[in-house]
Amino acid sequence: MGPGRATWHPMLGFIIRRLLAAVPVLLGVALITLLLFDVAGGDPAAIKLGKNPDPAEVEQLRTELGLDLPFYARYLRFVGQAATLDFGISWTDDTPVREIFWRGIGPTLSLSVPAFLIGTVLAVLMALVVAAARGSLLDRVVTAAAIAGISISSLVYILVGQWLLADRWKLFPVWGYEYGPRAITFLALPILIWIALSVGTDVRYFRTVALEEIGRDYVRTARSKGLDERTVLLRHVLRNCAIPIITRMTIIVPFLITGSFLLEIFFGIPGLGSTLYAAITSSDLPVVKAFTMLGATLYVLFNIVADVLYAAVDPRIRLS
Amino acid sequence: MSPRDSAAPAAPRTPRAEAWRRFRQDRLAVFFVGLLGVYVAVALGAQVAELWQGRPFLYDRTLAELGLGFPENAQPPSPDHWMAWLGTTSAGKSVLLRVVHGTRVALLVGTCGAALSVIVGTTLGLAAGFFGRWVDNAVQYLYQVVASIPYLLLMLALAFLVRQGPLAAWYRSLPLSDHISLGLFNIVLVIGLTSWVTLCRLVRAEVKKVRELEYVQAARALGLSRTRIAWRHVLPNVFHLVIINFSLRFVTAIKSEVILTFLGVGVDKEPSWGQMIADAKSELMRGIWWPLLAAGLALFGLTLAVNYAGDALRDALDPRLKR
Repeated sequence: MGPGRATWHPMLGFIIRRLLAAVPVLLGVALITLLLFDVAGGDPAAIKLGKNPDPAEVEQLRTELGLDLPFYARYLRFVGQAATLDFGISWTDDTPVREIFWRGIGPTLSLSVPAFLIGTVLAVLMALVVAAARGSLLDRVVTAAAIAGISISSLVYILVGQWLLADRWKLFPVWGYEYGPRAITFLALPILIWIALSVGTDVRYFRTVALEEIGRDYVRTARSKGLDERTVLLRHVLRNCAIPIITRMTIIVPFLITGSFLLEIFFGIPGLGSTLYAAITSSDLPVVKAFTMLGATLYVLFNIVADVLYAAVDPRIRLS
Repeated sequence: MSPRDSAAPAAPRTPRAEAWRRFRQDRLAVFFVGLLGVYVAVALGAQVAELWQGRPFLYDRTLAELGLGFPENAQPPSPDHWMAWLGTTSAGKSVLLRVVHGTRVALLVGTCGAALSVIVGTTLGLAAGFFGRWVDNAVQYLYQVVASIPYLLLMLALAFLVRQGPLAAWYRSLPLSDHISLGLFNIVLVIGLTSWVTLCRLVRAEVKKVRELEYVQAARALGLSRTRIAWRHVLPNVFHLVIINFSLRFVTAIKSEVILTFLGVGVDKEPSWGQMIADAKSELMRGIWWPLLAAGLALFGLTLAVNYAGDALRDALDPRLKR
């Protein structure tokens, strides 16, 4: 930083630089998206008109959709769409893509956010306890259960959970969704399965993080001061584990927004995951392209957020 | 870090022997490697049986058709005939044979998918880390772009596209497609092209460090070509990353097969675990649990074996964890 810019907060410069660096990446994503869906997948006009279309109609639609333009013009137009967040109108139900997004975001977040928060808290607590008792029977049992748990296919969790808990034991509804507070009855089982799916990986990750901290000198100091184990873990170790935990949580946020394909499809939750799946299978290209750009933009943005938080939480990290 | 290939013969133990010694200490890991051997043997057996039988394969015929006195519907496991040990599917076919054949599919998908992904990731990572400059910038840009696109979306989109596109037509014209179905080829391609980013990053970062070591400078001073230094002298020193990542990608690949097949863009025309698990969605509601149990257990055993052995391998290869 030169002396002339000393009035700037260093963080601001960092954020601006990162945002600028994100632009070419997103331009690349737009290029790949367009190549994938509008070129490699065949003629979009023919796809939209379905089986055995009338060639004259295809020609007309090609002009309407601007497909007769040279590729660079189509690319520029798509970038313009992405920049203004206006991706046009869905091919399957004739509503603007934006409206489809706002319709799906509610159900998706009401599934993903509680599942993610409960799952993370559970995993962090388990990891702390297990790491503190490294090598004990408890540690070995939990580590073994975690590795066994992540070795089971996610489809098996969903199938068996749905069959046993909903179909057989009637504890939850098998399928469906209702807006408003009654949504919770439909969301409880998918949330439960989400936690079961993620907890194994999370415990393994957080255990490694906690082990690294527990081996450090300040923990030995705290212990030798006579602090009880709970205080050592919650006041000292957990605080120092905060950085990797926050970073990981931030990076996962985009995936909470795009939602879980499988859980939403299986339980009939009308969120973004099942919307996107339906759009892919019915070749609803405006929706698919919009969601691809959205997912990528969120990913890039939240990676920047994670880096900023990382620096904000830890004074040792210098922005460069 | 010591250059593995140029270690003096007088050294008591090469790093490789040291790693193997540490790996062997974990009895469970050795057991899981043995289990992997069993899976490989079963898969090879299935392949040989298939080449020897010709179409229609035994797994595609109902037990009734074969005159074994079973009805043409789902039967629970029975000891009456070995083909019915794990029961029959709703079409009356042997679950045991279908699981065995699924092993061949899983190992093919896992090995080829992981191999492709590791080759792409290592080559790009090595090039970026070693040559630096514009190569590094280009590779970094490429992996940032690929990593930004949501993984499952990219995978699904590619799977749909590869199926309809000219690539599928080309593959169908190859004699290989008689033995390895298009669906399987798709999955390998999709996994290989989408999951190389992690390894590429790791290799790039490690190569950047290794490149500055004295022995690489010595090799340069000897006038060896840069490509030769990269492949023969730098790559062996980052190879532990490649091996560990291979086991991770192997698991991703066989799990992805299950999900893609369930979503209708994976393996078709031949039985796979993914297909059996997908069929279980309707079967379970009718109380037919044995195909899911068989396929689920087979998948679980293989994944667990690779996961555990991979973990043990990582610990054994990590020079910081001297025991």
